[in-house]
Amino acid sequence: MAMPIRSPKDFWAGLLYAGFGSAAILLARDYGWGSSSRMGPGYFPTVLGSLLLLIGVASFVRAFVARGEPIGGIAWKGLILVTAGTLLFGFLLRPAGLVPALVALILVSAAASVKFRFDWKAMGLMLVLVAFCALVFVKGLGLPVQLLGSWFRA
Amino acid sequence: MDLLNHLALGFTTAATAVNLFYCLVGVFLGTAIGVLPGLGPVATIAMLLPVTFGLEPVTALIMLAGIFYGAQYGGSTTAILVNLPGESSSVVTALDGYKMARQGRAGIALATAAIASFFAGTACTFLIALAAPPLSEVALQFGPADYFSLMVLGLVASIVLASGSLLHALGMIILGLLLGLIGTDVNSGLPRFSFDLPELADGVNFVVVAMGVFGLGEIIANLHDQSDRSLALTRITSLMPTREDWKRMIAPILRGTALGSALGILPGGGAMLSSFAAYSLEKKVSRHSAEFGKGAIEGVAAPEAANNAGAQASFIPMLTLGIPSNPVMALMIGALIMHGIQPGPSVMTEQPALFWGLVVSMWIGNLFLLVLNLPLIGLWVRMISVPYHLLFPAILVFCAIGVFSLANTQFDVYFMALFGVLGYLFRKLDCEPAPMMLGFILGPMMEEFLRRALLMSKGNPLVFVTRPISAALLVISAVALVAVLLPALRRKREEAFQE
Amino acid sequence: MKRLFAGLALGLGLASQTFAAYPDKPVTIIVPFPPGGSTDMVARAIAPRLQQQFGQPFVIDNRAGATGAIGATAVKNAAPDGYTFMVASIGVYAINPFIQKKLQYDPVKDLDPITVAVRAPNVLVTNPNFAAKSVPELIALLKKNPDKITFASSGAGSSDHLTAALFWQKTGTNGIHVPYKGGAPAITDLLAGHADVSFQNINAVISHIKAGKLKALAVTGEKRSPLLPDVPTLGEAGVQGADVFSWQAVAGPRGLPADVKKKLHEGIVAALNDPENRKRMEDVGFEIVAGTPEQMAQFQAQELERWRQVIQVGKIELE
Repeated sequence: MAMPIRSPKDFWAGLLYAGFGSAAILLARDYGWGSSSRMGPGYFPTVLGSLLLLIGVASFVRAFVARGEPIGGIAWKGLILVTAGTLLFGFLLRPAGLVPALVALILVSAAASVKFRFDWKAMGLMLVLVAFCALVFVKGLGLPVQLLGSWFRA
Repeated sequence: MDLLNHLALGFTTAATAVNLFYCLVGVFLGTAIGVLPGLGPVATIAMLLPVTFGLEPVTALIMLAGIFYGAQYGGSTTAILVNLPGESSSVVTALDGYKMARQGRAGIALATAAIASFFAGTACTFLIALAAPPLSEVALQFGPADYFSLMVLGLVASIVLASGSLLHALGMIILGLLLGLIGTDVNSGLPRFSFDLPELADGVNFVVVAMGVFGLGEIIANLHDQSDRSLALTRITSLMPTREDWKRMIAPILRGTALGSALGILPGGGAMLSSFAAYSLEKKVSRHSAEFGKGAIEGVAAPEAANNAGAQASFIPMLTLGIPSNPVMALMIGALIMHGIQPGPSVMTEQPALFWGLVVSMWIGNLFLLVLNLPLIGLWVRMISVPYHLLFPAILVFCAIGVFSLANTQFDVYFMALFGVLGYLFRKLDCEPAPMMLGFILGPMMEEFLRRALLMSKGNPLVFVTRPISAALLVISAVALVAVLLPALRRKREEAFQE
Repeated sequence: MKRLFAGLALGLGLASQTFAAYPDKPVTIIVPFPPGGSTDMVARAIAPRLQQQFGQPFVIDNRAGATGAIGATAVKNAAPDGYTFMVASIGVYAINPFIQKKLQYDPVKDLDPITVAVRAPNVLVTNPNFAAKSVPELIALLKKNPDKITFASSGAGSSDHLTAALFWQKTGTNGIHVPYKGGAPAITDLLAGHADVSFQNINAVISHIKAGKLKALAVTGEKRSPLLPDVPTLGEAGVQGADVFSWQAVAGPRGLPADVKKKLHEGIVAALNDPENRKRMEDVGFEIVAGTPEQMAQFQAQELERWRQVIQVGKIELE
């Protein structure tokens, strides 16, 4: 490594911008450029993508010039469990119903917390929360989901 | 003396026991729903619409309006307490409100929001009563070119939102603009960046992005460092603003109200910009601008006033022209039609009791909000002292249900998870999400108006300078840009010298 | 063994469906648009009346997105048991296949028609200050200034966009199509005079016409609208073959059991013909159709063919 990265945050942010910018330019190739008086759907995204790419490069360069703070550890456990719990909720909601989806979301995401204990108190609170949601959203506001979905029907 | 007669008619309509009751119900429901993250007024009003069928039209409308501004208010509560802005308007309230909450000043932030909202609501009610029809005529003068220039000004203002690096502020704004372009292009009907998913054909809902980036991102970050958080919340100071606080909030409230009212009457989506604009303006003119982003009371007072004024003022095009400036107003119009009333210019003359009753009920509703919420502040503040490991699953649950209820689709929940990951990344890299959110709102509108203006002018770009409104806005943008960039560049030079 | 079990379960399921009185649980009405629009309004008008007739909740599920394609696809994928049906508009039944490249439903093969609910003519409106005061004047103006007059529409490929295209084709003229995000902003720009002309649903513009803020040049029905007795039809104004209605219709997933379909059809027709509902609908410009499933299928086929041609001739494609 010839040049050390002095500002890792700038480095990764630059990569992020450049990635999004390039993706926008690439995807917008198919959209029709038009002309500056009658712009096609690809005009605006391409211009914005190029600007973002430029900013990404600038941030990238700055990573080697200016000094910045380190990034610090990534909260992998929280990141994975909270995301997984949310995805699971979305997946379960229609076929399994609101109650199982909520239980899955709460249990999976709660496991991300170091302080969370699966004791009676926590289970009781979970039941209260699930009952509250069922009453307020489904019974009260008429949200069009079932409490127990088709998976639980004969 | 027309005004007095009209207001008298309004009071006799709005102050009947039934209407007062439903106003209270609406405001209460709205606040409760606004406090729950993700669940917005659109879904709620849609779900409660059948309930209103049995009511008199004016009663139904009073209740629905109550839900709307109640939800606006409730949304700020969540933004301040847990940094979860459920509406575009509360994104900026969260910036300083949440910082205040973490400094133990949650009660003061909430009280400030309530007072600012009440003042703005009152002022705006009078504005509607005095000058709704002429104002709506003024608003119609705004053509596509003028809206585009307004968006340019908004873009300049968004740079001010960031408190850190200018480069990253620009990067996040452009990223937001690009994310806003996801979905079907209005001008050609072509779906862009949608990866052939019909769920992306209408773009990503603002609430989905906000819940992901702020809600999930924040939760993931907090889980990593739980000791910090509870510590910051132990010392809660007084709940009510001090004399000094009062002094600092008056001018921002006045400016915010003025700005919010002005932007709110524009049917083309001005109200959404009002809180952003008010925050940026305040940060530029305030003597305490260094405190912005670190818990400045002005940063709560101004956008809250602007937000409520904008929400209230958006009734002007709805009532006088029958034009909805946001999805909630579209629903109100639907409700009116279902009650057999054709919204439009004739409502004021043919249904004066309905018009003035609603106007007066807005003021009553704002009073209810204040009375209802000031005593609740203590309760809210106690709520955030609940241990985080018990609180966060509840936040997550409400986010998920709320996001689902936007369009009754699980895809929005998936997208929220995706934006949660992005939000956590932004946090780690010191990329501020607030400018991105403003870019997200501005992006599609800016392109739409730019292309429409050029289409209508037959490709002549001079429309932007020959139309007086547009030209004026562009000049203001240029001046603002200089005012924004100069100090930043100067600071940069100083930093360079210091190194 | 597994298959036998599945078959048994299926058989039992079918049996219970035919024997139990429909409906014995809540019914979902999918509206493929956001709440507050015309289609949503029709659904919300019939839902409480169906609930009263059948004694089961009829829940409205707004599945907006992709000009109705998301909701229609959800209906296609629902079980054809009568517990899910849809209220949708002309675009979903007759236009989307020609406009959207990767449509995931076929409006004929995947949907079981129940009835056309309501229809309403479009109105050709202009700002009162616009130079042309009648259809012949408009045509003359368009011929003199080709590609100068702006036609606002509620979106590329919307029914009002296609009505404008049909009008150009029938009169041999052309204008600038300016699409908006829905009807409301288009009407706003017409009121302000930023846009010149538009074909809009009568219910969306009637109050502006009555208040004198918009001028109606013609209605697109084959006869005059009772709401606008002084406004000529396009035919009377000399433009033949451009009679257009925007319409809302009810359909379920393909393969509804005959008895369920019959029951549902009778219930919906009764709800639509309810005198209170009829009056309310007619007051805002809708005409109650409430025909048979066969009539709907036939009408839908006509409309599909017509819009296919308009789109082909006008070379309307999404760039």
